[in-house]
Amino acid sequence: MLDFKRDLRSGTTCLTDSAQEPPLRIVRPFPLEDGSVLVHLHNVSGGLLGGDHVTTSVNVGAGASLQLTTTGATRVYRAKQDGMATLQINQFTVSQNGLLEYVPDAIIPFAESRYRQETIIDMEAGGGLFWWEILAPGRSARGELFAYNCVELKADLKATGQMIAAENVRIEPKRRDISSIARLGPYCYWTTFYIVRIGLDAAFWLTAEQRLRELIASCRSSDDFWSVSMLAAHGLVVRGLTRSGANIQRNLRTIWSEAKLLLYGREAIPPRKIN
Amino acid sequence: MNTDRDAASDNSDLTDLRLLHLADSALPIGALAHSFGLESLVAVGLLTTGNLEEFLRGWLSEAGMLEAVFCSEAFRIPKADLTRARERWAEINALLSARKLARESRQGSLTLGRNFLFTAMALAEIPLLGEIVATPERESNWRRTDAHYCLAFGIVAGMLGFDGHRTVLTFLHQSVASMISGCQRLLALGQTEAARILWNLKSLIVEAVERSAACSCDDVCSFTPLLDWGGAEHPALSTRLFIS
Repeated sequence: MLDFKRDLRSGTTCLTDSAQEPPLRIVRPFPLEDGSVLVHLHNVSGGLLGGDHVTTSVNVGAGASLQLTTTGATRVYRAKQDGMATLQINQFTVSQNGLLEYVPDAIIPFAESRYRQETIIDMEAGGGLFWWEILAPGRSARGELFAYNCVELKADLKATGQMIAAENVRIEPKRRDISSIARLGPYCYWTTFYIVRIGLDAAFWLTAEQRLRELIASCRSSDDFWSVSMLAAHGLVVRGLTRSGANIQRNLRTIWSEAKLLLYGREAIPPRKIN
Repeated sequence: MNTDRDAASDNSDLTDLRLLHLADSALPIGALAHSFGLESLVAVGLLTTGNLEEFLRGWLSEAGMLEAVFCSEAFRIPKADLTRARERWAEINALLSARKLARESRQGSLTLGRNFLFTAMALAEIPLLGEIVATPERESNWRRTDAHYCLAFGIVAGMLGFDGHRTVLTFLHQSVASMISGCQRLLALGQTEAARILWNLKSLIVEAVERSAACSCDDVCSFTPLLDWGGAEHPALSTRLFIS
């Protein structure tokens, strides 16, 4: 559990409370030049095991600004046969005029793994969010593609109590043909990027959707599929489908930077990585 | 002659015919103007005549399940008291809007739903329907209310006393038929081949509806990333036959 608040005198964001248990730890917040802080989530065991039940709870206080990332990919190890799945729960709250930028590395489900992730994000008036997620097909460098048993990703995004985006995905490559055109077709990587700021009107988001669509068209390779669309309210969702993981981070950072300029009048600061 | 049984049979026949009528593609709600992302998939060459049936099989076990579960939930709404019915109607419409991430597909579903409600109320006496679907801020003009197509179909069927299982079955069948019809305009897909695909999918439609009975709106899963891409990128197509 991590609590961040905005220091009224300095205008900077501070970590005011934390409670941590392995396998997830943070070292300390690193101040950024725009007054926000950068925090790296370390998985000190190197990955998630079957039966692990990990909860990340982060509160971004009123006016505070947090950039949260991981030190590397989330590796989900093989689950024991008939053993328990790996469960990761993310609970984030963004108070009035707070900003959360959650930009983790990819989730890599190993062969025979079973992974369930539930993310709940509650945002108050004026709150902002940049959150992406990258799902890899497995250890692709060794040719391990879609050898996992099951990945479930559930996400609820609420703006002042109103649901603005909800996902509930179950991918079972051994039970359902992942290469169906109804699913991933010939693509292997799947990315979702939410861009939200509570209070901006639909006309703004339509313009932003068009601007990001033009940007995406200019930066994507012919082999990738990227899209952007306005949410039911208060934001956009960007989706990427790619054959390899090579350009995903670069494209996401380009989109993030442009979206941050549109929403906050300043560019995104890509996180420094420890590894 | 058992007149009671005949009266019940007549009533059942009438109900069946009304359900068929409301699910008919000729119902003037604009269903044929939407592809819900299919047009984009055809434009980039991913969806073809050769893989259409296989695509629809995948669709039925993902997005089709989602639509079936929400349709079924809306069907049950009239059983609640008016206050709870209004709350639940608003809740599931908001939840489905949140689940439909592509703007044009979401708006297409809402447009069809509103048109369906309007048409159903023009055809039949459904006294409480307007009171349930009108959101407080839009009470003066309930026709502007949020109403996704599957939910509008479900609630109308529930209020008209149709059978719940048949309602969802018919809705899903109509949805698949509508997609195939759209593909006839997008692909080199003849009438006999189109009819054959729909015929082949009937057992899967039955299976999807049976499986959907075990799910709730909160736990039903759907994974259709390419179709979502198609829906989101539809505004970028330079030439479009469909609204979504």
